[in-house]
Amino acid sequence: MAEFMFDRPEYYTNRECSWLAFNSRVLSEARDKSLPLLERLKFLSITASNLDEFFMIRVASLKDMVHAKYTKKDIAGMTPQEQLAVIGEKAHELVASQYSTYNRSLLPLMKQSGIEVVTEHEKMTKKQKEYADQYFHDNVYPVLTPMAMDPSRPFPLVRNKTLNIGALISKKGEKGKAEFATVQVPSVLPRIVRLPDTDEGHKCVILLEQLIERNIDALFLNYNVVAACPYRIMRNADLSYDEDEAADLLKEIEKQLKKRQWGEVIRLEIEEKMDPKLLKILKAEFAVKDEDIYKINGPLDLTFLMKLYGLEGMDEYRYSSYKPQPVPGLQDGEDIFTQIRKRDILLHHPYMTFEPVVQFVKQAAADPDVLAIKQTLYRVSGNSPIVAALAQAAENGKQVSVLVELKARFDEENNIIWAKMLEKAGCHVIYGLLGLKTHSKITLVVRREEDGIRRYVHLGTGNYNDSTAKLYTDCGILTCSEQIGEDATAVFNMLSGYSEPKHWNRLVLAPIWMRSRFMHLIERETQHAKAGEPARIIAKMNSLCDKEIIAALYEASAAGVQIDLIIRGICCLKTGIARISENIRVRSIVGNFLEHARIFYFQNGGDEEFYMASADWMPRNLDKRVEILFPVESQELREQVRHILQIQLEDNVKAHVLQPDGTYEKIDKRGKLLLCAQDYFCEEAVRTAQVESEVQKSHVFVPAEAMDE
Amino acid sequence: MAVKYFAAIGIGSTVTDMKIFEWGGRKPAREVENVSTRMNLGLDVYQTGRIGSRHVEELCTVLRSFRQIMQGYKVDAYRICATSAFRESRNMLILRDYVEKQTGLRIEVLSNSEQRFMDYKSIASVSSEFETIIQNAAAIVDIGSSSMQISLFDKDKLITTQNIRIGSVTTREHLAPLMKNSEHFEKMVVELLNHELAGFAKLYQKDRQIKNLIVIGGNLLELMRQYRSESREITAVTKNQFQEIYENVIGLNQDEISERFHISFDQTGVMVPSAIYCRALMENLGAETLWLPDYSICDGMAYDYGVKNGYIQNSHNFEEDIIAAARSIAKRYKCSQAHIRNLEEIALLVFDRMKKIHGMGKRERLLLQISIILHNCGKFISLEDVSECAFNIIMATEIIGLSHAEREMIAYTVKFNTSRFLSYEELSVSTALTKSQYMAVAKMTAILRMVNALDRTHQQKCKNVTVTLREHELKLTVASQADLSLEIGTFQEKAEFFEEIFHVHPVFKQRKQI
Repeated sequence: MAEFMFDRPEYYTNRECSWLAFNSRVLSEARDKSLPLLERLKFLSITASNLDEFFMIRVASLKDMVHAKYTKKDIAGMTPQEQLAVIGEKAHELVASQYSTYNRSLLPLMKQSGIEVVTEHEKMTKKQKEYADQYFHDNVYPVLTPMAMDPSRPFPLVRNKTLNIGALISKKGEKGKAEFATVQVPSVLPRIVRLPDTDEGHKCVILLEQLIERNIDALFLNYNVVAACPYRIMRNADLSYDEDEAADLLKEIEKQLKKRQWGEVIRLEIEEKMDPKLLKILKAEFAVKDEDIYKINGPLDLTFLMKLYGLEGMDEYRYSSYKPQPVPGLQDGEDIFTQIRKRDILLHHPYMTFEPVVQFVKQAAADPDVLAIKQTLYRVSGNSPIVAALAQAAENGKQVSVLVELKARFDEENNIIWAKMLEKAGCHVIYGLLGLKTHSKITLVVRREEDGIRRYVHLGTGNYNDSTAKLYTDCGILTCSEQIGEDATAVFNMLSGYSEPKHWNRLVLAPIWMRSRFMHLIERETQHAKAGEPARIIAKMNSLCDKEIIAALYEASAAGVQIDLIIRGICCLKTGIARISENIRVRSIVGNFLEHARIFYFQNGGDEEFYMASADWMPRNLDKRVEILFPVESQELREQVRHILQIQLEDNVKAHVLQPDGTYEKIDKRGKLLLCAQDYFCEEAVRTAQVESEVQKSHVFVPAEAMDE
Repeated sequence: MAVKYFAAIGIGSTVTDMKIFEWGGRKPAREVENVSTRMNLGLDVYQTGRIGSRHVEELCTVLRSFRQIMQGYKVDAYRICATSAFRESRNMLILRDYVEKQTGLRIEVLSNSEQRFMDYKSIASVSSEFETIIQNAAAIVDIGSSSMQISLFDKDKLITTQNIRIGSVTTREHLAPLMKNSEHFEKMVVELLNHELAGFAKLYQKDRQIKNLIVIGGNLLELMRQYRSESREITAVTKNQFQEIYENVIGLNQDEISERFHISFDQTGVMVPSAIYCRALMENLGAETLWLPDYSICDGMAYDYGVKNGYIQNSHNFEEDIIAAARSIAKRYKCSQAHIRNLEEIALLVFDRMKKIHGMGKRERLLLQISIILHNCGKFISLEDVSECAFNIIMATEIIGLSHAEREMIAYTVKFNTSRFLSYEELSVSTALTKSQYMAVAKMTAILRMVNALDRTHQQKCKNVTVTLREHELKLTVASQADLSLEIGTFQEKAEFFEEIFHVHPVFKQRKQI
């Protein structure tokens, strides 16, 4: 340890840079010619919404730091100011790359495939123009609210993330200074307007702002419109809750939501062609600096592409949607508790269906022997069957405790609605612990059976959201292990405000115990390596940016521990540093499904340990949230988990490998058997389900025969 | 047997907790729920003499939610015991009534000796190791916020239990203003305690070396966490290990302790005074191992309930402890052991034969036995005013495991052995005993008076007594060659009262062997 300092800033990558690199990996999917067209549009759209969120949270908070003259350096030794400079540069590159992908690859390809996006309204055919004007008058015009600015009217409120058209107007017949006016492109109307097909039968669409631009004169009747151009702003949206003062957390969040539209402007996007005078006004009024202005060659806000993804009649340009398969060994129709009593069950979503989790709560709600159901809800889908089942359970007289995490970013409004509804149904709703987000995903069902109380627990790596469970890869287990059951009870007691238990059997919780447990597990491998035993760590997660953990991994690597990391997003660890991280390999899988599971493997001198968790190796997960790390104990399940890790490590299609210079590169496929982990799991799940259903169907009576001699 | 559920709630000085137990399930006995919440009622009572209204409301809220949990499990029975903070709160009865009405739950307030006994049962019930520890001289010390309770064991039996009125919070509050620095504080605390312990040692410890010190209270377990081991039911810390931690902790303030030992701040308040006490105790008693059991008073309640309902076997005879404690009191007041044994034998025989007539139960049998053990202690003070002296001694001596009322019953039984039996109207002027408790006193007195006559001379002439009950006649037959004239004379005198109470005529017969 004395020999090397493992925590030198030069051994770490700045997390924002690493995040931008991740978004580039997503963009590379949009650029991947082997993908169907609409899938590529989807990935491009994702990079756009990702970038929006990144600005609103990360960039905004760095800006706040700069304002507050906070100069503390990050993990890589950069001040907030320095980070903003680098981010600005890289974000501009990323945007340029997004639009070159859009303009140079995707637009032409769309045209080839029979979808035309009419980029300028002037390019519409006569028939289309007629249609468009009619559409404008019938649907758009009535909802437009143009606003002008002059000495008597101040600059209007422009809402966060909305698309607007700025214009310079001058009174007809008067020679004077042009005035500024703006109109919001209504978010209540679809951004994409379908036009009549071309004569060749191509589907044609145009963006709503084009229609407004085309008819802008109609908005300012006594004026000449000198110039008009779309723009969009991004405001600081990082919410900071003052939990000590907020008597009622719910109210505080409602208040904050109203305030959110008023944040400082941190990014201004304009179309390249914007009139310099118009830009000057926007720049002054929004108080943005040059480096925060993004001049864009194409339509603003590419998230509209997600809508194109759903275009009907274009199935050949999409992956056929994958249907999650039944969980092996779990029979439909049979009581789920009986099945859990037989053995622990591993769920691997979305390859396997999320239905057993829903069933778990549903059956518990109806089961007369069930005394109580307790669950943490972080992000729930609209019309969640789980929420409905919980409400039903309460009405059936069960004790239902639900922890609704109000602080799930951007989902607050949604969560408040569920919370109120559950309370009404008679559930005991807990709004989390002060100062801590409850990120753990755990459900506990307490059942009074003939031979006493038995507890059934579901533990997962992903949220209880039946919609995202079709898109995110997550793992979960269903068990009735007594020790885990006891711990689960203690978790909910703790979340209800009772004292923490004196000791935990199997579960490890953040923010108190998890960090030290991980440190211990890593250090234990280091000790094994030093003792000359084989030592290995495999960890799969979304992000790795905790300094202490990374330093421990470096130390482990230096001692000879073989470390494989499967990290989808941010990774502040660097590979290939001589004598520090030569034994560490990092790969990132970016595919059709969002990699979301957290799995940890420690070789432990042959006495292997497998864990799964709701937490990443990030300071916020380890120190500021309630998270659960749980062991995978049944031998059968451990083999399944080992298999999952194995396949992910063998992926050579969607995996990007982190290079010593901080870039990610795909694996050279020449001469290799191609393996895409996500496809592999899909096929495997289908195959297993088929075999099972055949076994179930066939009743073959096997005659007993004498054994072979 | 169907599976049974029992909820136990303890309202303690710093913690209010609930445990729910299951019997007859997959395991014979299992704890299925354990919730606790920190509420420093003790500090309130110490500072203001009562539990503050904020805490009263909080307590009601907690009990209501415990009640909900209990209902969730559909428990068959529950018991709630409140200990010192609640007991010592001013207007305790009003407080109890309020909390009971607010929560719809019934609360039992334990006397000091009942509380200690419950603690002791709790420790014994969570650990089989306890039995081994008390084979040799051992002490259980409860470091409370305003007092310290020391219970001494030897050869598996409880010798005495004493309350010393200095505790961790009182020390902190009294001495903190006087202290110059942390070393000075330590010195003051040790001086204060040594004085008390010297008195204790002279009276009770004598020349025993008490190798095992069991400490409860004072939050020391958290501090010694590193010595907790999976293989041990009770955390054991050697003298040297303790010394090491002691030196690390002694100069620290609360913040530093919290930081360094990862202990939540609100638990650190009493740790330094407790650690100082603990060290002083170890030195004074000659302790070599410090035992820190992890238990809740709920465990003792569950044990009681389980034994009473036959769900669990009585592993340790706790009644024997109460009797042992009484015997050691008798010994201190130089009562004749032979005389006592002789009477006990006869009296319990009479009690058992007369069961149908007197209708008393196991508990009264125990009280009668203790009355006999202590009936002569007054002589230690004065030969003239024996009954009054005995009464005062018993009322002033804590007997572990007995409630205040039970002790009073014993005191009156002993008093009436030699003085005029008072009517309830006369007695109720100066006692809170209920009519049924008074009746028990009357019955026990009748038995005590009569059997006491049989050893009038304290020479144990009446051995091998047989007792038979026929119709309205109780025949005591004694095989003896001795001259029993004196005994027979006294017997006749005392028999009158016996007959008045039971409507049974006692007959004394001597059978001389040829």
